[in-house]
Amino acid sequence: MRLLLSGILALGLAGTAATQTLKLPPHEKVVLKNGMTLLLMEKHGVPIVNVAAIIKAGSVADPVGQEGLASVTAELLRKGTAKRSAQKFAEDLDFIGASFGAGADVDYTAISGEFLGKDLDQGLDLISDAVLHPAFPQAEVDKLLAQDIDGVRAAKDEVQAVVLNYYYGYLFGNHPYGRPEGGDELSLARIKRDAIVKFYEATYTPGNTIMAVAGEFSAAQMRVKIEQVFGAWPAKASSLPPVSAPTAVKGRKLLLVDKADSTQTFFVIGNVGVAENDPDRVAIRVVNTIFGGRFTSELNEALRVDSGLTYGAQSFFDSKKQAGAFAISSYTKNESTVQAIDLALQVLAKLHQDGVSAEQLASAKAYIKGQFPPTLETSGQLARLISSNEFYGLGDDEINQLEARINAVTPAIAKQVIEEHYPADQLVFLLIGKASEIAGGVKKYAPQQDTRKISEPGFWPGAK
Amino acid sequence: MKKIGAVRRALLAATLLVSLSASLRAQNEAQQFPVATKTLRNGMKVLVQTDHSIPNVALYIFYRIGSRNEHPGTTGLSHFFEHMMFNGAKKYGSGELDKAMEANGAANNAYTSENVTVYQDWFPRSALNLIFDIEADRIQYLNFDPKKIESERGVVASERRTEVDASNGGILDEQLRATAFIAHPYQWPVVGWMSDIEHWTIDDLKRHFEMGYAPNNATMVVVGDATSEEIFQLCEKYIEPIPQHAPPPPVTTVEPEQMGERRLVVHKQAELPLLMIAYHVPQTNNPDFYAMNILRTVLVQGESSRMYKRLVDQDQIALEVNLTQQPAFDPTLAIFAAQPKQGVDPVKCEAAIFDELEKIKNTPISDQELEKAKNIRLVEFYHQMRTINGRANTIGTYEVFFGDYNKVFAAAKNYAAVSKEDVQRVAQKYFSANNRTVGTLVPDNARDRGAK
Repeated sequence: MRLLLSGILALGLAGTAATQTLKLPPHEKVVLKNGMTLLLMEKHGVPIVNVAAIIKAGSVADPVGQEGLASVTAELLRKGTAKRSAQKFAEDLDFIGASFGAGADVDYTAISGEFLGKDLDQGLDLISDAVLHPAFPQAEVDKLLAQDIDGVRAAKDEVQAVVLNYYYGYLFGNHPYGRPEGGDELSLARIKRDAIVKFYEATYTPGNTIMAVAGEFSAAQMRVKIEQVFGAWPAKASSLPPVSAPTAVKGRKLLLVDKADSTQTFFVIGNVGVAENDPDRVAIRVVNTIFGGRFTSELNEALRVDSGLTYGAQSFFDSKKQAGAFAISSYTKNESTVQAIDLALQVLAKLHQDGVSAEQLASAKAYIKGQFPPTLETSGQLARLISSNEFYGLGDDEINQLEARINAVTPAIAKQVIEEHYPADQLVFLLIGKASEIAGGVKKYAPQQDTRKISEPGFWPGAK
Repeated sequence: MKKIGAVRRALLAATLLVSLSASLRAQNEAQQFPVATKTLRNGMKVLVQTDHSIPNVALYIFYRIGSRNEHPGTTGLSHFFEHMMFNGAKKYGSGELDKAMEANGAANNAYTSENVTVYQDWFPRSALNLIFDIEADRIQYLNFDPKKIESERGVVASERRTEVDASNGGILDEQLRATAFIAHPYQWPVVGWMSDIEHWTIDDLKRHFEMGYAPNNATMVVVGDATSEEIFQLCEKYIEPIPQHAPPPPVTTVEPEQMGERRLVVHKQAELPLLMIAYHVPQTNNPDFYAMNILRTVLVQGESSRMYKRLVDQDQIALEVNLTQQPAFDPTLAIFAAQPKQGVDPVKCEAAIFDELEKIKNTPISDQELEKAKNIRLVEFYHQMRTINGRANTIGTYEVFFGDYNKVFAAAKNYAAVSKEDVQRVAQKYFSANNRTVGTLVPDNARDRGAK
């Protein structure tokens, strides 16, 4: 969480440094006979291979009351397979210095693997073993659920780790985007092995899978290898429930999460934002760089540089398949809570009133373009980018035309983006802090005031 | 740290401990990017590694000054000073430095540790001149505006509240170091005690500047789309005219040998307890560095590591367990941290860690474990070397902490030479009861939580 640009956008440079053309390195897309989408990109120089796979079922597919099911299913993939115990899997993986990770995001499950090119066969065997043949041993299920429940408790001891869980819960309410991807202390305790197996059987299918492989290999040979290993995965019908677009919150409401020993108030202010494929996404990126997306942003200048109220203030659009969240976030000592929130609201009002200047636009454009190349320097970054673009239906132009699209943002377009995508008066407030010191002062922000204690299980009103 | 909220200690640990290889292949590949060096007339050493893969450059300046050069009453001054380096000089006034950089596509940051203060610039090569102009301006002509000092004091206090007050790990780590060291300056936090943050004066800052910010006390590392010829030319123009002066006085305090276990307890509101165990270990350039890193991998890296298997998988008493050791000029600490599960007495985690250490001390690790650890180091070496930023940080860290960047390329050989017996020997030498400090954070609301 910082002022670095959020979102994954970058390039691999083709050609010399002098030509400033941002271009994605060549890659190919193949749909296997069983329906699995395969993306291959050679990237030479470092002898590493990265796999980034997406299963098109995320936490939105969790049944109500069993939040965390997609997440737990993903975490258990490596915890015992048809031919390896969890410990054997760990030993085989660690011995070649490889890594494997899997976890659920809101819209999808992300699986990543990395190994040295010389260990290609073993690396692919481990990844396919976990993805195609997980056994979900009861003992491992019990162990992992107990760990994840304590993991939620441990996160609550590091306030910054849970701020957005509370905010999304309060902002999206009963919409699936409001439920915690990793579950909470109550929902995790309800998950049974049967539900995990059922979730896996229903959603982990070749047709639901996008697999990107990038790194040190020959694409032609890699394609043959992948077809050997994943081609045998039988095709299967899978219907994922559609997710509706969340609607913006009308009016204002405020949730204060009481942490009685807090010396600082952590706050988030915002409303529903935009979808990942929103036609205005590039202009939003430029405007948000100016408003809250870098060190000299208007928010950070006002709350940190000019006033010393905080270590950092930022804004971001956390975009999803459907409209995600927009948020302003910062923190300040208990005594200056109202002063800092007032100031953040003033900066937001000023954005609506004054828009952005031509000078600010030019600076933001240069900043985004200048910081772009290192975000896709490695095969891991590239594999994640192309799999994610495929999932969201974004083509190569997302990168190849980015510079042109950035250049095309005018003050008039910026003004329209601000009006359309930045909330003005309809605002959701989430605060974590010492209620006995700050509750009175923050009453003025919203007619609807809600409270809960950080020790109460769960993050959102629907958690029971 | 200027603006990234990541935990400082974790970041520094990653810098050095996670960057080496045990293979000759890695060594050969690293050498495909030769490093050109030059020592300027004012004593600043400059290292350049050219790589045209992307049209960008990473530039690091390491100043050999940190919280070990401070004194009681002004703890945290190095870190506060780091913040002030962004608040205006002669040509680039207050707020103008960041604005000029960002308008030219550049980003910056900085971090401070017990030992060094490091400034980082990441930029498209088109901004090369600007970056040198800015760096030369602030090294020579930093401005101390009283109003700016007051507002930055608020920023640093907020940073401390976030990293320490709002983090159980931050609180316990701070108390642990303050207990493990009784004489050496490593005993106080890099961010400083809150009462010191509130009381620094403009004169303290000026003295710190004069002491630590001499060109002869700094090393510059440049990696990316720039040739050594053009970097050395820019250095001649912008940096070389800056006069040298005396570096900080040497830190002469030597921590006396610990002669018995120390214990501390922190009581606070918390969902879960925490456990940390610190052992005194030598400074980074000690020859045991390589064997200690192999030992660390065997103990805590990956789900097949000994501590993970024991505490997380088999006994199921902890959510995670790790071991960190940061780069240091002076003898430092290796710290185990374990997150006990709810209702588990941290004493159980402690006993399991001690038991695993005894096993390592009594019986050499297996050939398989040794080979695994070397393989893991190889991949981590590639992780560091595959970005221009990773290489700038790694090359600079080796140059500063080992006194020779070539140690990056010798690391492969040095790891290959580590034997099972070496690993056993360092375990016996450093992981003794008399040499440890045990810190526990106990939730003061445990009785209300149904703890067993």
